Amino acid sequence: MALFITKRLLMALATVLVVAVLAFLLVHAMPGSPGAVSLGAGASQEAIDEVNQRLGWNEPLVAQFFNWLGAAVQGDLGISLIDGRSVSGDLAGRLPVTASLAAGATILSAVLGIALGVTAAVRGGMVDRIIGGVAGMAVALPAFWIGIIFVYLLAVQSSVFPATGYVPFEASPQDWALSLALPVITLAVGGAAFIARQTRASMLEALQQEHIRTLRATATPTWKILYVHALRYASLPIVAGIALQFIQLFGGSVIAEQLFAMPGLGQAVQNSVSTHDAPSVQGVVVIATVVVVAVNLVLELATKFLDPKLRAS
Amino acid sequence: MIPNVAPAPADAAEPTAAAVLPKAPRQSAAKKFSGSKLFASPASIAGVIWLAALVAASLTAPLWLPFKTEDQDFTAVLSGPTAAHWLGTDELGRDLLSRIFASAAGTLGTSMITVIVAVGLGTLLAMLAAACGERVENVISRVTEIMMSLPGTVIILAVIGAVGTNIPLIMGILGVLISAGIYRVMLGQAKSLQSQLYVDAAKVDGMGRAGISVRHVLPGLTNTTVVQAALIFAVGMLIQAGLAFIGFGPPIPQPSWGGMIQGASQHVYDAPWLMVPTGAVLALTVLAANAIGNALGKSPNATASHLPSAAARRQRAKAVATIAAAAPAPKDAAKGKLSVRNLSVGVDSAGAGEGVRLVTDVSFDVEPGTVLGLVGESGCGKTMTALSLLGLLPSGVSVTGGQILWNGKNLAAATDKDMEGIRGRDIALISQEPMRALDPMFTVGYQLTATVRRLRRMGRAEAKAEALSLLEKVGIVDASRILKTYPHQISGGMAQRVAIALALAGRPRLLVADEPTTALDVTVQAEILSLLRSLVKDTGMSVVMVTHDLGVVADLCDQVAVMYAGEVVENGRTDSILDNARHPYTLALLAADPHANRAADMPERLATISGQVPQPKDWPATCRFAARCQFAGSACLVPIPLLPSGTADGVVRCVKADELAVEGLDWVATDVPSHHVLTLSEARAVKTRTVEKDHA
Repeated sequence: MALFITKRLLMALATVLVVAVLAFLLVHAMPGSPGAVSLGAGASQEAIDEVNQRLGWNEPLVAQFFNWLGAAVQGDLGISLIDGRSVSGDLAGRLPVTASLAAGATILSAVLGIALGVTAAVRGGMVDRIIGGVAGMAVALPAFWIGIIFVYLLAVQSSVFPATGYVPFEASPQDWALSLALPVITLAVGGAAFIARQTRASMLEALQQEHIRTLRATATPTWKILYVHALRYASLPIVAGIALQFIQLFGGSVIAEQLFAMPGLGQAVQNSVSTHDAPSVQGVVVIATVVVVAVNLVLELATKFLDPKLRAS
Repeated sequence: MIPNVAPAPADAAEPTAAAVLPKAPRQSAAKKFSGSKLFASPASIAGVIWLAALVAASLTAPLWLPFKTEDQDFTAVLSGPTAAHWLGTDELGRDLLSRIFASAAGTLGTSMITVIVAVGLGTLLAMLAAACGERVENVISRVTEIMMSLPGTVIILAVIGAVGTNIPLIMGILGVLISAGIYRVMLGQAKSLQSQLYVDAAKVDGMGRAGISVRHVLPGLTNTTVVQAALIFAVGMLIQAGLAFIGFGPPIPQPSWGGMIQGASQHVYDAPWLMVPTGAVLALTVLAANAIGNALGKSPNATASHLPSAAARRQRAKAVATIAAAAPAPKDAAKGKLSVRNLSVGVDSAGAGEGVRLVTDVSFDVEPGTVLGLVGESGCGKTMTALSLLGLLPSGVSVTGGQILWNGKNLAAATDKDMEGIRGRDIALISQEPMRALDPMFTVGYQLTATVRRLRRMGRAEAKAEALSLLEKVGIVDASRILKTYPHQISGGMAQRVAIALALAGRPRLLVADEPTTALDVTVQAEILSLLRSLVKDTGMSVVMVTHDLGVVADLCDQVAVMYAGEVVENGRTDSILDNARHPYTLALLAADPHANRAADMPERLATISGQVPQPKDWPATCRFAARCQFAGSACLVPIPLLPSGTADGVVRCVKADELAVEGLDWVATDVPSHHVLTLSEARAVKTRTVEKDHA
């Protein structure tokens, strides 16, 4: 187990490092030098060169990368070319928004998805077909489209929820929850459908195992076979599915943040890519990777802990 | 928003007849692409039609579109559907229908780039990993694992920052990211294809790795490739629309689906209709691709569930009620005696008419304290007969007629609730593979204690003590250690002892043992058999022992029922059947069993029975063994009843039994002479003709 954790930690570290290099290279492939981007159109070539010189743009790539990496491990991701603010500080303010969104959507997807998937597998027949049909539709509908429909129905028509914006938790927990509701539900539609399918398939597979017959042969009540034994057996693939879903929902937050005007990481990527703000792009890519990889690591360890074979070894 | 396609949640098919039919020919690892699957479900037919229509419409768009994409009609801004604008107009009065179809070709085409890159690269990597051995596979797997744990959306956006909104290039890079998931889906299949015997043969023939991959592995991957392509096509469209939605689509004013939805979202307050047409076309296209992928990916050979769904249980309850109404149970049954009368088990038919019969007209008795052996080759219905005694037939299979009489109750007509009172307490089960019979997620102690508490209504501490004594009773020395282990930590023989302890937990009167020693080592087999023998002696319970081992029969059984192709062909006391078998099938089994012959009179060649047990759907109405029988003649081509065999209360299902006994014929160790082989089709043809042509 210790060996396993060490291996996984190294893999996670390698992943982040690979992405850091990739982000660095992509940023350098962007059109326009930092000086040109930060000074905007109409700046003199001397001024641009001066800024480039100050930012170390003319140093060899390898040196630039290690300078960046050295600063990054100390928490300094550089200065935005557009507004001169610290990238780390900006992202630190944005991370809670995206984290609330992705975590909320993942939890809602998991709860809904497992409930629906188990119901479909256990009830069978018409119920199964209806849940399967709805899940198939939900997977096919783009999140942004669903989001707009929700805005129309729940914010415009009935004004239950605010249509856009984000309220920090510290300001008002209640408004925070209300402001998150629509974006979280929007993202959770597709997520829940995915997890419901995964859960249904895993439950059916669990019920095909021979030990289920042994349990029935010893008069185990049906509810206990389903919700203790089969669900426990199915829990491994289900948790693995949730881990995959988190990555997807984290990415999906780009769209939800755009749609609901939320100041999160997704909005930061979108803005900095549009404005060619190199340090911001680089920073946000690395931060997003760290979060996704870390959460995945935890969920993966959880999966392994659920498996007696791996726990024992 | 970049979906991880890795473990595609299998759209597990309903258990089908193929799944429960015993020993159906195994499907090879290669799942061949079949067009018929595509047209098997209405959803995928609709999907194919929609996609074909969309492609045709968008390619011919310039010819028929009523407006140019940039034509602005200021008399009809933000209008709903009208005669002029069938799908309405946007905020600049541009015709939605024209814009949707004019941009369709680009959307579909660029999504295909993702498909080709993702599926092509993923398949290539999988074949490479399968062909080049473990080290290469490890490297590729690590790399793809890293790729899959990346926040793909953020990376794609960073790529857009570097290369701009060059849609074909972006979709290609997206394909690279997705290929990791495809690789994961393909790898297992590619490896299993690579390990096929014909691949080994090709290697011996000197065929190179590349040749093998292309000639033998790639064709087997075709179906999965097509399935994944359809699913990735849908993913590609969704992502492309999503990118356009957040402003990274084709440059304005060029129309794109995502961009149009983005435009519509600005008018959700004053013109909600604008959302509908584009969203619907996008959703329908994604649905169409998914439907095609799901239809092709549907696995035809799902294994049957051991706990039928609620809907299936309701259906079974209905069937049971009709059986109960058909024949009321006689009240005179003796306590502890099992009587099976004319039992039939069949696959539930999907449509009208009857499904395939797996067991027909089986009758036998088990007196209290005796052991009955159910003997026969695989696929003869022994296990189905045994499982029906506990009401534990897999889903899709049920008792279709007859009675199972136990303590004055007809178990064939008992509800699942009634059966719950009988299972474990009256009738217990030991199955063939002990490792799979125990729940891998719980300790032996938990499983045993919970069972004891339930079946014996004991408290926690009392149950724990009882669990310990049960394990000791089945011959486990360090019982307290075993209680703490998980099933994967103990050996097969140990696991079978635990399974026996579980079966004994409710002090049953009848034990159903389904080939309890088949999966075990020979030395362990002997131990388990002697354990069973002493348990029968000590507890006085009766046993139904399913086996194909005549040694086990000789060792344990008082009574034997020989089954062939779903029916009992001979039934009688063990000694009389072993010494004086009457049915040719029994004779053949005895002649084919090396243990049944003493070393002194061991023949030079052991006998064989040519051919194999026919599939249940091919069982003829005549003697079912005739096609393989050395003694078959034209008299055998009529339905054969069970006849008294002459010894005690024995019965035999053979018209030639007396003739064989008189002539003292034995099953001989030669191939069946060809003129005796009646193919099944011939047998059926003869059956339909009149019997007067019988000139025997």
